[in-house]
Order: sequence, then C-alpha cells, then structure tokens
Amino acid sequence: MRALLDFIAKYYHWLIFVVLEGVSLMLLFQFNRYQHSLWITALTEMVSKVQAAEAEALRYLTLGRANEQLTRRNIILEYNLEQATRQIAILTHDSTGTERIQAERINGLELIPAKIVTNSIKRRDNLITIDAGEADGIHEEMGVVCGTGLVGIVYRTSKHFSVILPLLNSHSHISCRLRGSEYFGHLTWDGGNPLFAQLDDIPRHARFNIGDIVETSGFSSVFPPGIFVGKVDAIGNSDDGLSYKLRVHLATDFATLQDVCVVAQQFQPEVQELEQQSDSLIAL
Amino acid sequence: MLITFLQRTLWLVALVAAQMMVFNYVHLFGYATPLPYVYLLLIFPLGTARWSIMLWGFVCGLLCDFVSLTMGIGAASMTLAAFVQPLLLKYMAPKDAVDNMQASFHELSFWGYVRYSGILTFIFSATYFLLLSSSFFHLYDFTIAFTSSWILTLILCLAIERVRGGKHHAKES
Repeated sequence: MRALLDFIAKYYHWLIFVVLEGVSLMLLFQFNRYQHSLWITALTEMVSKVQAAEAEALRYLTLGRANEQLTRRNIILEYNLEQATRQIAILTHDSTGTERIQAERINGLELIPAKIVTNSIKRRDNLITIDAGEADGIHEEMGVVCGTGLVGIVYRTSKHFSVILPLLNSHSHISCRLRGSEYFGHLTWDGGNPLFAQLDDIPRHARFNIGDIVETSGFSSVFPPGIFVGKVDAIGNSDDGLSYKLRVHLATDFATLQDVCVVAQQFQPEVQELEQQSDSLIAL
Repeated sequence: MLITFLQRTLWLVALVAAQMMVFNYVHLFGYATPLPYVYLLLIFPLGTARWSIMLWGFVCGLLCDFVSLTMGIGAASMTLAAFVQPLLLKYMAPKDAVDNMQASFHELSFWGYVRYSGILTFIFSATYFLLLSSSFFHLYDFTIAFTSSWILTLILCLAIERVRGGKHHAKES
C-alpha cells in the first residue's frame, strides 16, 4: 500500500495528465457529432473484432470433438470405398478389362466377319460351318474368334463356306499360356461339358491360382498372342504326374455362338510354308 | 502567490475573451484560424509544478471550447502542451538560468524563444487539428489548415510576447 502511495506520489502528474486527457476526450466524443460517430464506428468495429476473435477461439477449442467425428466418419467412408472398389473390380474384371486387352491384341490384324451356318456341341468331334470362304479371303489354318474369346481353326474351305475345327473337338490342340507368366501348354477338350476344356503340360514349378486368365501364347502362325480363352477353374495333375492339368472355364459359349471373325495374319502363308519345309527336312 | 494567481487569471480571461470575440472569426484564406490562447502556457516560469500548468491549460482550453463549440478539443490539446511545457523549457533554458526563470526574448534570446514557442505551438496546433479532423482522409486540407494556423498562432504569440516583454522591460528600467 505504501509502495503504491509512493508510486502515485512520484508519478502523480502522469495520473493527472491521464485524467484530464480522459475527461477531454470524453467531452470530445460526447458533444461533437462527427467525432461521436467516428467513436461509435470504431467501437463497433473493435467489439466486432473481439467477438470474432472470441468465436474463433471457441471454434478452435471445439476442434478436438470435430476431429473425433471426422475420424469416425472417415473410417466409415474408407470402408465403403473399399467395398465399392471390390464390387467394381468384380463387375468389370471379366468384361471391360478383357475386351480392352483383346481389342489391343487384335488391333492391326485383318478380321473377316462371318455367320454360323451349322453348329454342334453334343458330339466328341464337333464342327462348325460359317458362311464365308475362299472368295472372302479365308483359307485353311486361319484362326477364328468371337466377341468373347477363342473359337477354333479353319479346317476346310470352299468358295463361299468354311468348316471350322472348334475347341470342342478332340483333334483341337491350341497353344495357350497363363496371363502374367510365360508358362504355356496345350488346350484340348475331352468331351463332356462344353463350357470347360483342359490345359495340359503346365510345369510343376509354375505358380498360379484359380481364376487366373488363360490366353493364346502366339507360338504359332494361327493366333496372335493374348487372345482371351478363359479362366483357370480347377487344378489337377497330368496322367504321368510330371505336369499340371488345368480345367479351364471357356469364355466362349458355343451353345449361343452366332457371329465370328476369321483372323488373317499378314505373314501366315509364308510362315506355314517355312514350317512345312522344316518338317520335310526332319522327316528325311 | 495570490498576485501570480490573479495575473494568470487575468491572462486567462483576456486570452479566452480575445479568442471568443476576435480570433474565432478569423479564417484566413478559408483555412488559417489563430489559436493564441496557447500563449498562457508560455508564461509559466521554470520550476512551476507540472500539475498546476496542466490544470491551467485544461481550464483555458475548456473555456475556449465552450465559446468555440469545439468541446474537448482545446482542452485535450492544451493539456498535452502543458504536460510537455516544463520539459521543453528546462531543455531550452540556459545553464545559468535562475530557478524561476520565465521564458522571454531576453532570457532565451530571440531565436531561442522562437524555437521554444514554435515547438509548443506546433504540439498544440497539431493535436488540435488532428482531433478536429479525427482522420487523415483529407490530408491536403488538414496539412494546409494546420500549417497556416500554426504559423499564424506562432506569429500572434510572438507579437504578444513582444508587447508584454517590452512593457516588462520598461517597468524594470
């Protein structure tokens, strides 16, 4: 108390100065209309700023709760996104992606369209006849595909018709591989269910899973590599036990087949002639 | 003491009356308004209590505000100038000045008194016109009005001091 009195006694002129200036300014803002309006404006602005700062501070203090709610919401959304992504992957995997890859594979090849004239799936050695022949540029050993996958190979031709050896024939042996790896084998059909064929000669050290895609290997002049054939449905052993024998769910439904395309590769006749000459030399 | 008080009161009444009846009607070029009542602060001698100068200044300013309808502006300006006056006079006074030296042309020299009164009237005028405009939106008008009024006030203060000083010397001789 004494210190306070000493302080006031020492600096009393400051106190008087502040009091007199305060009174003067009070009179100024009270009795002068212009200064009064300025004072009110400044005061309002100051109060508004203080209130804004207070609101901002309150918002900041409640951020913890908001953050907790956002985290909870984020977890729910992340879960929903994961589910949706899985659904999209399931719905688009067999159609869009495969069609796109197949379109890329057959891009640049000459495709000769044809319609199915006769077809069968019940016999051991089925054959298909199409309404396009040599007059359309078709000749033997050409590949045949449809919108969903592989069909077979041209077996005999006439001027306006051709006979196709489809996958559903015991004499059909088409070189195929597992997509994403270089392991290949021969696709055959042993009768029975027309939706399934067998892929033989897959080596024992090959790594694959059920659902992996089977496509043409391109190891012949008949089909370009990458034409979709089907998916691995079951895994088994070959008769001699030295390799795998895979059951393949075929992409082509032969029971409903109507339109096909014959694949004309540019250098196919030249390659076939060379292969025949090589076979002749080996026979000698 | 009483004579000093009466003398100051007389100066106060005279300056306020002059402001009310004469100088409030002077607006040179539409800008310059003399405010010579600040002269009251110039007559306080060295060693006068600060609170006393401030009270005299405040009352003088307030009375002028009443008659000029500028409530608070003159009082605030005079109080600030009165707060500075003792420090300024102490700084401007010669080293061998007596304890109760009163500022005059004789004591501070002509230019010394011009500087002393110039600084004090500058502080007063600047505060006065700053409070009057309360903003710098019209900086050009503010500068012209403040500068011209300050110079006019300074000239009047110097003139009053010249007259007062002349009489004082005549009495002494």
